[in-house]
Amino acid sequence: MDLVLQLLFTGIGIGAVYALVALGFVLIFRATNVVNFAQGEFSMVAAYLMVVFSVDLGWPYWLSFLIALAGMALFGVIFNLGVYYPLRHRTYLPVIIATIGASILLSNSVLAIYGPQPQVLQGWFDTPGIQLGPVYLDSQYLLIIGVTILLVLFNFWFFERTLLGKKLQATSQDKEMASLLGISVSTMIMITFIYSAVLGGLAGILVAPVLFVSIQMGSTIALKAFAATIIGGFGDVAGAIVGGLALGVIETFGAAYISVPYKDGFAFLVLIAFLVFRPQGIFGERVAEKA
Amino acid sequence: MPLLEIRNLVVRYGEIEALRGVTIAVEQGQVVTLLGANGAGKSTTLRAISGLAKPASGDILFDGHSIAGLGPEAIVRLGISHVPEGRRVFPGLTVKENIMLGASNRKVGASQISREADAMFDLFPDIRAFSNALGWTLSGGQLQMVAVARGLMAKPRLLLLDEPSLGLAPVIVQAVFRIISQIRKDTTVLLVEQNARMGLSVADHGFVLETGRIVLGGKPDELWGNEAIAAAYLGGHAKTHA
Repeated sequence: MDLVLQLLFTGIGIGAVYALVALGFVLIFRATNVVNFAQGEFSMVAAYLMVVFSVDLGWPYWLSFLIALAGMALFGVIFNLGVYYPLRHRTYLPVIIATIGASILLSNSVLAIYGPQPQVLQGWFDTPGIQLGPVYLDSQYLLIIGVTILLVLFNFWFFERTLLGKKLQATSQDKEMASLLGISVSTMIMITFIYSAVLGGLAGILVAPVLFVSIQMGSTIALKAFAATIIGGFGDVAGAIVGGLALGVIETFGAAYISVPYKDGFAFLVLIAFLVFRPQGIFGERVAEKA
Repeated sequence: MPLLEIRNLVVRYGEIEALRGVTIAVEQGQVVTLLGANGAGKSTTLRAISGLAKPASGDILFDGHSIAGLGPEAIVRLGISHVPEGRRVFPGLTVKENIMLGASNRKVGASQISREADAMFDLFPDIRAFSNALGWTLSGGQLQMVAVARGLMAKPRLLLLDEPSLGLAPVIVQAVFRIISQIRKDTTVLLVEQNARMGLSVADHGFVLETGRIVLGGKPDELWGNEAIAAAYLGGHAKTHA
């Protein structure tokens, strides 16, 4: 029982990272109807920004954190203008290929600067964790879970309770009608890219002390997050969060009880099972919303 | 000076010439109805005015200034609100949210917009009870009410209504047209209709479009007297000019 609780905690911690990246996937998908294959690189770039400011320049952790997040907001702007905006009137295919191209460009640029050696980033807290009864709560995982809870609440408030959130939803449901009402569609899409880049960046910064900071970290996280969006129900915000958490828990238990080397395989086993037996995911695609 | 003046408007979709030199004028305070069969170019005319379709040539003057080539976001800010074909109510937003977003062309605060949306239900009492219902759950008549209410939230000087009667039961069509005759007190309306009788019943002036050209124009009484009008609706080859 103690082990189960311990695994559950770790699983939710890593699942929270998948959930944040999955949320970024879904938001961009809903706004542009395109899967952003560079979403994982958003996390990787943010983790390297932390290495630049916190490790290389030796600036305070919190300052580096704020600069890295601001950098990710700027990165979202550049990504939108460079990758999506020029192709916005084309079909989804050129846009998808552009995001794949951006993903390759980003990992190789970082490779050229930092080389293949993984970098190490310290966690936010000096204390490694606290013992709560039988369960050891790692401080970084606690931080990840806490930040994710706050972000999910913020996300709900932003999209359901603010006029700007409603305009973003309107834009994702019917761009032409949104523009007829005077909603600036290009501004809404810009906001979506900024928000998704910051979300992905946060996930990368939070998970970096747990994993290593490497050029592959983005694609590993993104593959799991992508699987999470399908398991949760593609295009569904709640599905992305639930799918991400579920995937984190499943692979942690799988690693503990079945096989550690096959840890990454469990996510995809679950994904395949969903694609075969329930392709619409846990929450299903609310078809009416797309009509 | 007419509020809206369209001169020799040509619009092409690829190879197809949807409008082939349309000229109409809408005076301030009027309801003007564009009649015509399917594919005659009625919707394209409205889409060109609201900026969804780019004119290939010709001009569109609103209040004396050319708006041809401006984007839809800029045009609605000038005071032209387009309620398009198919209602296009956002399916995943509630009725109230849909109506509130109609004010996106104006710089007003959220609480003010919320109050205005509540006031809008006085004009559309039938949808008041559905204020918190999501768009996709509504019936065709309710969707049309929401679409018109949303269009009015822009406080337009000119309201473009595309086929408000399409697919609605006769009793609902009458309700929609009662609303149009109420709207006309404050707003100029350019109405597109296939339903000629309803369309002309509220109009000060009517035009008949056929394959991208205006073939007939006049007061409703004059149009009624013209035999060609029936032929134009049935997609016939009326060449008679009034």
